[in-house]
Amino acid sequence: MESATGSSPSPELAAALHRLRSTLARLKAELELAEADGRAAPAERLLGDLNEALVLLREVEQAAFGTVSILVVDDDARLAELTARGLRRLGYDAESMEALRDIRPREVVVFDLGLAPSLDDASRTALKVARPIVVTGATDPGSRALATDLDASDYLIKPVELEDLVAAIRRRAGGAD
Amino acid sequence: MTTRLLVVDDEPRTAEVTAELLRRAGYTVEIAVSGTEALQRVRMNPPDLMLLDYEMPDMEAPEVLDSLRSGADRIAFPVIILTGARHAPSDQVLGIERGATDYIAKGTDRQVLLARVRGALRERAGESSVIVNGRLRIDLARRQAWLGERPMKLERRPLLMLQLLAGRPGDVIDRAELLERVWGTSYSGFEHSIEQAVHEIRRALKEPGWIETVRGIGYRFVTQP
Repeated sequence: MESATGSSPSPELAAALHRLRSTLARLKAELELAEADGRAAPAERLLGDLNEALVLLREVEQAAFGTVSILVVDDDARLAELTARGLRRLGYDAESMEALRDIRPREVVVFDLGLAPSLDDASRTALKVARPIVVTGATDPGSRALATDLDASDYLIKPVELEDLVAAIRRRAGGAD
Repeated sequence: MTTRLLVVDDEPRTAEVTAELLRRAGYTVEIAVSGTEALQRVRMNPPDLMLLDYEMPDMEAPEVLDSLRSGADRIAFPVIILTGARHAPSDQVLGIERGATDYIAKGTDRQVLLARVRGALRERAGESSVIVNGRLRIDLARRQAWLGERPMKLERRPLLMLQLLAGRPGDVIDRAELLERVWGTSYSGFEHSIEQAVHEIRRALKEPGWIETVRGIGYRFVTQP
């Protein structure tokens, strides 16, 4: 995905900027109201808004700089974090999780097939839409079928070399629809 | 013994808040508000880990990293870079060449920040880039080993394994640790890969005795004259 250059921003950038502004405006209005009433602002909600603003800022950065966000999901937390750290050193915005969380727009998901049985219907559907890069320790035809079931964009066998993973990420982020 | 961290950020409030988060997790934290001050503090008393803001008025992070290394092969402690907007992947490759251990986007959750600090400290505890042991020399950064003057042809994993063994001569290193440190997995389906790697190391060394098999446990490095 090429980042936008020139005077007109990409539609993604414009949309993310707009949503960022709305969130910040809401935060400001809420604080102004609290101040006018002389009461303490609801910290929990404001923190929630701030987190949302940071997520939106990340979307803005992605659209502006062409950064690729990656979610590495593996029940081996150390392995997942090792992989994510390696990707961060190569300039990716990578995060590791022991279980699947909500997938963000345009996030590339690297998914350990061993976790497939633990998925509920909703997260399975979300994962399929994300066309994950599936990583598996087993080479039997059953796991390949599972990967196909998840609409995997790539299928890598553990132990995965970082270079091979990066190649799969490039294919996924660059080529696929 | 407490772990000492150095937080470097040109915004004093940002530096102080970051430092406070880390202090509450039990670290001893010092602050520097410019790249120049950071380098001065490191010269006086190097920290166990540095958290470094990417953009500061006097210096950007890559410049600080270059100064920290000052001709040496690597920086003596892990450095985590705090970034805002990230650059495209191709630009960021500079990061690893210049020796940053990890990157964190500013505003990341406290728990994630702490986990990455722990991870960077742990990683650094278990590695070293150049190992010299008798006539054997291993340069991980250049992915090359030499026995005397003779370069050895080794793939990445056998090289990592040789580095791990040679770094602790005389110690028996068991299979579980080899799997974890060299293959990055605790998955036991790769035991045959260990044997294959040992075979390749022995073949590249072309001399007997360096790698001893400790039956049922693992392997031991024995320095040869």
